[in-house]
Amino acid sequence: MKKLLSIVIDIVLGAAVAALLERVIAPSLADVQPWMFSWPSIAFIGSASVCWMLLGLVFGASLGRLYIGLEVKEGTARTIATHLGLFALSTFIIGGWIVTDISPIEFLSGEGLQGAGRIFGALLTPEFDVIGEALSAMVVTIFTAFMATVVAVPLSFVLSFPAARNMLGTGLLAKTIYIVLRAILNIMRSMEPIIWAIIFSVWVGIGPFAGMLALVIHTIASLTKQYSEQIEDVNEGPIEAISATGANRLQVLWFAVVPQCVIPFLSFTIYRWDINVRMATIIGFVGGGGIGTLLTQYQGLARYHEVGTLVILITAVVWLLDVVSSRIREALR
Amino acid sequence: MALLSVRDLTHTYPNGFQALKGVSFDVEAGEFLVVIGLSGSGKSTLLRCINRLIEPTSGTITFDSADVTHITSNALRAHRAQIGMIFQHFNLIPRHNVLNNVMYGALGYTPTFASLVGKFSDELHARALDALRVVGIAEKSSVRADTLSGGQQQRVAIARALMQHPRMLLADEPVASLDPSTSHSVMSYLDRINKDMNTTVICNLHFLSLVRQYATRVVALKAGELVFNGSPHEITEEWFATIYGEDAVEVEIR
Repeated sequence: MKKLLSIVIDIVLGAAVAALLERVIAPSLADVQPWMFSWPSIAFIGSASVCWMLLGLVFGASLGRLYIGLEVKEGTARTIATHLGLFALSTFIIGGWIVTDISPIEFLSGEGLQGAGRIFGALLTPEFDVIGEALSAMVVTIFTAFMATVVAVPLSFVLSFPAARNMLGTGLLAKTIYIVLRAILNIMRSMEPIIWAIIFSVWVGIGPFAGMLALVIHTIASLTKQYSEQIEDVNEGPIEAISATGANRLQVLWFAVVPQCVIPFLSFTIYRWDINVRMATIIGFVGGGGIGTLLTQYQGLARYHEVGTLVILITAVVWLLDVVSSRIREALR
Repeated sequence: MALLSVRDLTHTYPNGFQALKGVSFDVEAGEFLVVIGLSGSGKSTLLRCINRLIEPTSGTITFDSADVTHITSNALRAHRAQIGMIFQHFNLIPRHNVLNNVMYGALGYTPTFASLVGKFSDELHARALDALRVVGIAEKSSVRADTLSGGQQQRVAIARALMQHPRMLLADEPVASLDPSTSHSVMSYLDRINKDMNTTVICNLHFLSLVRQYATRVVALKAGELVFNGSPHEITEEWFATIYGEDAVEVEIR
């Protein structure tokens, strides 16, 4: 009898939580009307009740049993934590659904599907008249990425040694340098290249140079981190051996540390160039020049047949670079 | 005056582990001194204090009448340059060829810039080949070091140490990762360098059979303290039990 009562409590609780979500939380997040006794509402509340009941029966975390004073398999603390967690998760999902304006109706309505048909139709019947213009813009994008990588590599190489924990020793100054450098690099990396591109397009004017500078910043931050982690990973043995010959610090770096890092460094660098080509495309949208800028222009003019050509070209180049760079990295291993 | 004199040497690691607790002994020029003791007894720390890869916490180390206990920068590098060292895991530079690996032994005597751009003199090339001949592996000079077998790599490491024209050779478990027959080959090269070139050798070893065969004198460490200092023939079963613990059984290596 008590068991039955506990199950009823669980079901009522589930319904209450669902009702709370639907009637109180959802309307407070956005201007939506609760469904109120409509079929979706009944289905929602019903399924929540079933969930809460199963939570008690199957997973042994029943608030009903806890309330009545029956033994709870998962224990008091875990049962309460489970329910709170589940409540938070459902709140987040429903909140997220509302905040992001998710609308299956628009996605699948006749009008919506017509629009999709139009754009896909245009993309699939590309206008190849723009191919010359597109190719030269693509060359600009590839070289923007290439130059950014070339400029960033030597700087990253030099910075990666003080940014590696095992290179500077244990002095206070060394620790300070390490922490400050790591902090700066983290901030540099946290700012997306697209933001750097906006900054530099004001600084040096719209065009590939702004895009390159944006990529340089991001590449230095990323490569220095990758390089320095590789350095932190080197085998100490050769360092000891070269130190034991009476070599100085620079010689130890060059003859014991660098040889262990060259191949991984090359691999990271090639991969970074690959990533930079993709990023250079995106950066073009905000004034970084190259194919991205061209794409926004045609998109702005709603000339989707031309956009189709550009999309095909970008996809082909990115795919090709991906294949080539992974082949090279494979061969380096 | 002894070539090397160690007095009341202690070393405490930053984590508080006391690896050496007041070790004292002398080494005369031309000796083949073997250091024995369990893993963790302080043998490796001792060797690294001698060539000052590690700075002692207290005590003194005198090498060739010079106090080297706390020297730094140029004096430290000059001190290291006259002492060769070989390691259990050989510690060659992977991907670089054998000849280059041997020449790196002379880094302490080579100007920084010249070495960084890879300008090693013809004389160094010739000396490196000579050193490889000493350990009988000259034909491998252009092979990548990491493609050699363990025994071959250790011989290259010996050649690298010879490039330093060392007054003393430190060997930290030089045969611990080699099979028995290769072990004898490597030990016999160390023996030859000791006898023919009159290079003093200090060698950490695990196998007592090797100790009896090659050592002119033995010191034993136990938990960071020196518990034995004498000729290899004086290591009786009682001493063995003292050094290695009551339950230890001697393992032969032939």
